[in-house]
Order: sequence, then structure tokens, then C-alpha cells
Amino acid sequence: MLCRWPALFVLLSALSSPSVAAQPLDAHLVIVAPAAPGGGWDQTARALQQVIERHGLARIVEVQNVPGAAGTIGLAQFVNAGGGNTRSLLITGLVMLGATLWNDSPVSIAQATPIARLTGEYEVIAVPAASPIGELHQLIDVFRRRPEAFAWGGGSAGGTDHILAGLIAEAAGVDPRRVNYVAFSGGGEAVAALLGGHVAAGISGYSEFAPHLQSGRLRAIAISSPSRPPGINVATIREGGLNVEMVNWRGVLGVSGLSNDDRARLTTLVSQAAHSPEWQKVLLEREWSDLYLDGAAFDDYLAAERTRVGRIVARLRGPARGAPIVAGQRLVPIAVLGGAAVVFGALVVTQARNRRRFPAPSSPVRNRGAVIAVALGLVMFLVLLQPLGFIAAASGLFVMTANAFATLRSRRQQLWTIAVAVVFIWLVHLAFTDGLNLPLPHGTWFDSPVLGSLTTGRAWTR
Amino acid sequence: MDALSALVEGFRVALTPINLLWALAGVTLGTIVGVLPGIGPALTVALLLPVTFSLPPIEAFIMFAGIYYGGMYGGSTTAILLNTPGESASVMTAVEGHLMARAGRGGSALATAAIGSFVAGTLATAALTFSAPVMANAALRFGPAEYFALTLLAFVAVSSALGDSTMKGLASLFFGLVLGLVGIDPLTGEARLSFGIPQLLDGIDVVIVAVGLFAVGESLFAASSIGLDPESVIPLRGSIWMTREDWSRSWRPWLRGTALGFPAGVLPAGGSEIPTFLSYALERRLARDPKGFGNGAIEGVAGPEAANNAAAAGTLVPLLTLGLPTSATAAIMLAAFQQYGLQPGPLLFTRDAELVWGLIASLYIGNVMLLVLNLPLVGVWVRLLAIPRPFLHAGILVLASVGAYSVNRSIFDIGLLYAIGGAGYLMRCREIPLAPAVIGAILGPMAEQHLRRALAAAEGSWMIFLTRPISATVLLVAAGIALLPVVARRWSSAPRERRTQPSG
Repeated sequence: MLCRWPALFVLLSALSSPSVAAQPLDAHLVIVAPAAPGGGWDQTARALQQVIERHGLARIVEVQNVPGAAGTIGLAQFVNAGGGNTRSLLITGLVMLGATLWNDSPVSIAQATPIARLTGEYEVIAVPAASPIGELHQLIDVFRRRPEAFAWGGGSAGGTDHILAGLIAEAAGVDPRRVNYVAFSGGGEAVAALLGGHVAAGISGYSEFAPHLQSGRLRAIAISSPSRPPGINVATIREGGLNVEMVNWRGVLGVSGLSNDDRARLTTLVSQAAHSPEWQKVLLEREWSDLYLDGAAFDDYLAAERTRVGRIVARLRGPARGAPIVAGQRLVPIAVLGGAAVVFGALVVTQARNRRRFPAPSSPVRNRGAVIAVALGLVMFLVLLQPLGFIAAASGLFVMTANAFATLRSRRQQLWTIAVAVVFIWLVHLAFTDGLNLPLPHGTWFDSPVLGSLTTGRAWTR
Repeated sequence: MDALSALVEGFRVALTPINLLWALAGVTLGTIVGVLPGIGPALTVALLLPVTFSLPPIEAFIMFAGIYYGGMYGGSTTAILLNTPGESASVMTAVEGHLMARAGRGGSALATAAIGSFVAGTLATAALTFSAPVMANAALRFGPAEYFALTLLAFVAVSSALGDSTMKGLASLFFGLVLGLVGIDPLTGEARLSFGIPQLLDGIDVVIVAVGLFAVGESLFAASSIGLDPESVIPLRGSIWMTREDWSRSWRPWLRGTALGFPAGVLPAGGSEIPTFLSYALERRLARDPKGFGNGAIEGVAGPEAANNAAAAGTLVPLLTLGLPTSATAAIMLAAFQQYGLQPGPLLFTRDAELVWGLIASLYIGNVMLLVLNLPLVGVWVRLLAIPRPFLHAGILVLASVGAYSVNRSIFDIGLLYAIGGAGYLMRCREIPLAPAVIGAILGPMAEQHLRRALAAAEGSWMIFLTRPISATVLLVAAGIALLPVVARRWSSAPRERRTQPSG
């Protein structure tokens, strides 16, 4: 009799505590990739999705892309959605941290709950093969002599490449504000500028440079890892005499105010996925370094990174907000706004003069009523899309527009219009959601607590 | 010839009945998705990429090439028929193409776009086959200063798209430039004209500007003439097929568009918009009847469409030879390569020769399939315009809205679309041309980035634009184009006649 108790206890605890490995932890997990499909964060999200699904750690895993402003739009939505959505993860990384600080973003990574660091890539400083610079100390000598004349090329301003340039300047005793950093919009453009010799040195992730290092068109000067990574024969920045280390890490966050239980559940799930052979295979395939870290260690790491990146961003930008960093910063806005003011002014003046000269109304009669009817349909769609969902709101827009355009309206035509609208909207909805996996708002009004638990992710369709 | 025998080998691998079927499936899928407004080729490829993952590499590349070409052509179809370009490179196609469609010549517009895409795609792939390494190295000589000179050239060249009144054209252009200013300045992180709205930080997507001004603005304008105007859209007039005259007016623009598009695509930061602008401007100058432009000139579709496709093939040159993804689509293709453990770059051709030549062969096949699938469908697509006006405009507004939403999945963007659509309506009412606004929104930010990068690399010295030979030459050509009409007018008071000076 007694011997049955332990078994019963195990069974009960298995039922009550969902963090036991044998059971699928969650019915529906959402992974938010704060970038467009195709990029590094999206790839991380989708790789994680596959591993979690294949391992049965969650039944349905949905990846949502919320692109914009180096991940800060995704972060803002994720944080503002509140604590309700305990089954969602946000892919994050050093780039997002840098962007929130660089752009003075109103949201901070600290508002979300840290779950785990997953992978990372080390940064490499490289020069074109024709450059006289061969080692880091030579590069630092040239850079120190006249920092402004030494153009560094890399990815977006405030990104990892820029931050590393700032850290190197700081360690070399140069005011980071004097770093002449030329930001390119993509890794490809930056590498092209370096290959063409348009900048003196380039900073990028190792994988971006690797083929050119192998072919001998670029020369690696230093790598930002603590020690030489296996298979990469490049001196570290430390070996070059500067106390700088950096990794472009990627990890996952939970929503803000996550309870300890929920956090533990998500951490267990991510940990199991990250320690699976499938994930290890993904890392090998994509040449991502395994940098798994969770719990208090990840908290500490994140806090340290925030402090360090915050300091360097502040120094890169200078004491005053908007200190001139790049030549011509004010030129284009002033030219465009000034030019626009002049042209619009001139247009208004000439039109007024024409009106005085030719008093007859030059503009033809317009059917204002129909325009207003269509505009009302648009406004209605805008207002109702979130609460009523796409199908209802778009059907309304369709019917209102069609009615505005129809000159004759019989009862039969009305019904016909509604039928066409519903079928058409349903087809569009099907194409976008099922065909392309691009979810459209399904309507928050229909969310009862029961329905809501089945359909997570509504908060992201803002 | 080494490349030739390798290519034959590639075709041998790629040309099996089952692979042809994959190509057809890819083109079909790509066209279907590309037709959805707001979904440009890059998004089409990204969304459909997972479909190819389960296939072995050669089959996957063949299907992928089909998806790519299908997506591009599908985007042109909606640009022509519904005036909803899915990406900035098909804006110029929409300008004349939609006018043709409204005049009942949608069939010819679609056909010249399809055949032009085929011609340009095939020629550009041939250029890729035989000159890739040479071209790629030459392209690296272009730095920020040269790119700025190029954008300036494009500005000068497309000022011919400003319309009849210079003042109104300028007003439209500046409207676009102001829209282009919105968002974080990528070089300093400073937010401009974003009024604290986070959704504006990344700037306004060009697709939203174009679809808002063209499609939403036009639907509102069409509403304003209900009951006052006779039907302004003629679904179909005459044959749906290209006439002899269409052919004779199209083939030169196809070739010129290819010649402009391919080199621009090869340039790592050239983009595919600039050649479409240059091609449009060039065709307008060379046209036997320049008055036709603005009323649906087939040259204005044939040239930019060819330029767009040639540029797309051109972006494969830096991708394959240098491993540099220089467009959104190329970046996704890079991900596709990596899926199969291929690292594009200088060593690709020696290391994975069979796959590369298989891919190049499949580009040719995808191109042919595009034509095979889409030419017979032209008649079906054109019927779209025969849909009763109430349903047509209702459908356009719904699709434009959902397209704007899918760009960033944000309802805010739909509001932005409508606001820009409202501006487009007011502009139409005052006869202000719309295309310059879209061109300004595309070129303005590009020009500024290149300008400031060049200045930064030169420590603020403006002389860099004149001391570098390529940049100085391009600027000289731009100055020539800008000043020639003025000089010529002064030279002879005779009426403007056909001029044939080269541009770009």
C-alpha cells in the first residue's frame, strides 16, 4: 500500500507542475522576432521554433515578425503588451540593447524579463589587403595620430560594430567622440566599401568577413573574443594590447513582470531546446557559437552589458545631444524643409494670383458626397480593424466603398455586394493567414477568457 | 570556353522533366504571391523560401529562381492593373503602365512587361555568366561619392517626370523629400519629424507612399467623379496582344533598359530603382512622340521593366562572386545558399561549381517558365479591369490596406496610407503630378546617406566629389543633362525636337 504513494505523488506533481519535461509545457508558444523575415533574429526565432516543435516542448510555436528600428519597435510592443502573455518570447541581442540606448528609446530591455542568452558571434576588425596596416598596434598608432582621418566602416550607428569602435577608441585613450564611423545600412555594403578601399578599416561579424579573409582580399587585424576561437587563427584584441572583449550575443526575453513560476517554465523550455542535439546541429550549420546562459548569471551579464554599452554610447555621442558627429548632418533637412517652404509658398502665391486674374472657378465640380462616403469607410476600417478583426472590418469597407461607387442601389444589388464582399475578404484572409502565415487581426472583441487562452498573440497585431 | 561548357553541364543537371515542373511550380507560386499588393519580390521570396527547404539543392534553386521571377512579374502586374506597386523598383512601371491599362491597352502593357522581363533577365543572366568577376571588381571602385553622384544624376534625369508645370512638379518632389526625411537619421540616431511616434522611427515605407498616392488617392479621385464623368477606365480595346507597332516601340527600350539595369544592379549600393528612373527618363527623351508619355506610352513600361529585371540579375554578381548581398532579395538568397552549406563568395565557383552552374542554368529556365506561364494569362489578368467599378475600387482599397498592414504588421501604417492617400487626392484635384513625390521619397534618403558617408570619409571636404574620376564624370553628365535643354533653347528658338544625347 505504502509503496504506491511515491508513484501517486510523482503523478500528482507531474499534473500540477507543468515544468516536468515529459509533458508538453505549453499548448501555444509565441516567438517574436523583432525584425523582418530573413535576418539574424528571424533565423534564430525560426530555428528555435523548429527545435521546440520537433522536441514536443510546445504544441504550436508561432513566429511573429515585428520589424523596425533595430528591434526597438518589437521590444516596445512586447513590453507594452503587459504581463498577460506569459507564453511568449522575444528574440533580443546586443544590437537591440545598443539601439534602445542610441535612439533614446522610451522602452528599455530592463523592462522585460531575462530568460536566456543563446548564441553569439565575435566581431572582427579587418583592413583591405593593400593596406599597410598588419597588426592591431599599427592600426592604433595610425588611428591615434589623427582619429578624424581614420574612417571606420561598419553597420548601423549605435550597433555592435559602432560600439566596438567606441570601446577600442576608449581603450586606446582616444575620445570616442572623435571616432570617424561611417555607418552602412547592411553588412554587404560595409564589406563592399572596405573591399573598395573607401574606408580605412572595417568592423563586422566574423562570418561576414570570412570568405574575403580566406580569399586574401581582406586581412583580419583582431577578433573580439576572449581567446582565439577554434578554427579561427586571428589574434584577439587583448593580444594586441587593448583590454576589450565583445560578443554580438542573441538571447530571449519574457514579458515584463513575469512571475517566478512562469519564468522558470520558460527557462526550462528554452534550456531543454538549447541543449537538444537538434539545436547543436543548427549552431554547427549556421556557425553560431553556443553561449547558453540563464538564471541569475544571465541577469548579471545583461546588467553589466547595459552599463558598459550605456557608457560607451554616451561617450560616442558626446555630452550634448545631437553633437555633430557626421559632416552634413543638418544640411539635407534644412535644404529639404527650406526648399519645401519656398516651393509651397510660391505655389500658393501663383495660384492666388491666377485666381485673381481668371476669376472663373478653374476646378471642376466634384462629387464630394461620394468622396466623403469612401473616406468614412476607410476611417471605419481603421477604427474597427482591431476590435472586430479583419474579416468584419474589411467587409464593411468593401460594402461601403462599393455602395459609394454604385449609382443604382436595389435591394438585390445590396445583397449581391455583401455576398461578393464576404467571399472576397474571406479569400484574401485565407491567402494572407494560411497561405503566407502573415496573421491579420482577428478581433479583440471576440476574445473571451476561454477563447483568449486558445488564441495568444493578439497583443502583437497592434 | 570554360564558362560555356560549365553552363552546358549545369543545363544537363537542371533540364529534366521533373525539374521543369519545379520551375513551373515556383513561377506559379511566385506570381500568385507577388500579385498581392504590398508584397514585393523580397517578401515573396522570404515567405516562400521555406517551401524549397525540403528539396535537394538543385531542385530548390530551380524552384527558387521561378519564385523570384514570378514574384517580380506578379508585382508588375498589380502595378499596371491596379496602380499598386509592391516595391520601389516598379513605381515607374505603374506610372505609364496604369495609364495604358486605363486606356484599354493593359494587355499590351502586361505583355511588354513580361517579354521585357524575359529579354532583360536572359541577357543579364548571360552577362552574369560570362563577365561576373570582371564586373564585380569594377563595381567595387564605386564608393559613397560615386553613389551620391549617381543619385544626383537620377534626380536630374527624372525631373522630366515632373509634368507640365515645373512649379507643381517641384511641389510634389518636395512633398516626397519631406516624407523621406521622416524617421531616425541612421548616421546619428536622431529622430526627425517623427513627433514621438515610435512607428515613424523607421521612416515611411516607400510602398506605403506609392500605394497611398497612386491607389488610395486614385480611388478617392474616382469617387469624386461618380455621376459626373463618363466611365474613365476602358477595360480592353482591340487585341490583348501586342501589335506590330507595340513590338517596334518596345524592343529598343528593352535593350536600353537592360543596358542600364544590369550595371546598376552589379553596383553594391546601386539599387534597382535608379536604373528604372534613368530608363524612364531616357525613353521619354528618345521617344518619337514625347507627348505620349503621361498618356500611357509603351516605352515607359518596356524600359523600366527591363531595367528592373536586369538589375535584379545584376545583384547576383556581387552575391555570387563576392558574397555581398546588396538588396533585400539578395540577402534572403544568401540565407538560402547557407541553408545548403554554400558560402557565396570568391571561392564559390571553384568549390561548388556544379551547384553554381546549376543555379545559373535554373535562372535561364525560370525566365523561360515565366513567359510560358504568364503570357497566356495576360488575357485573364486584364479581365480584372472589367470588374464593375464599385467592386474594383472596393477591392483595391481592401488590398491596399492589407498590403500596407503586412509591410510592418501595424495598423498605424494603414492610417498613414490613408493620410497619404488623402494628400494624393488633393494633389490629383489640383493637377499636381504624383510620381515626383514617390521618386523624392525613394531618392532623397539615398542621396543623403551617400552624401554624408562620402563627406565623413573625406573629413568633410566637398572636393571628394570632383577629385574622384568616376564621381566627377557622372556629375558632369548630370550637369550636361540639366543644362542642355537650357542651352539648346537659347541656341535655336526652333520648337523642341528629338534629341539623342546619351544619359548615364
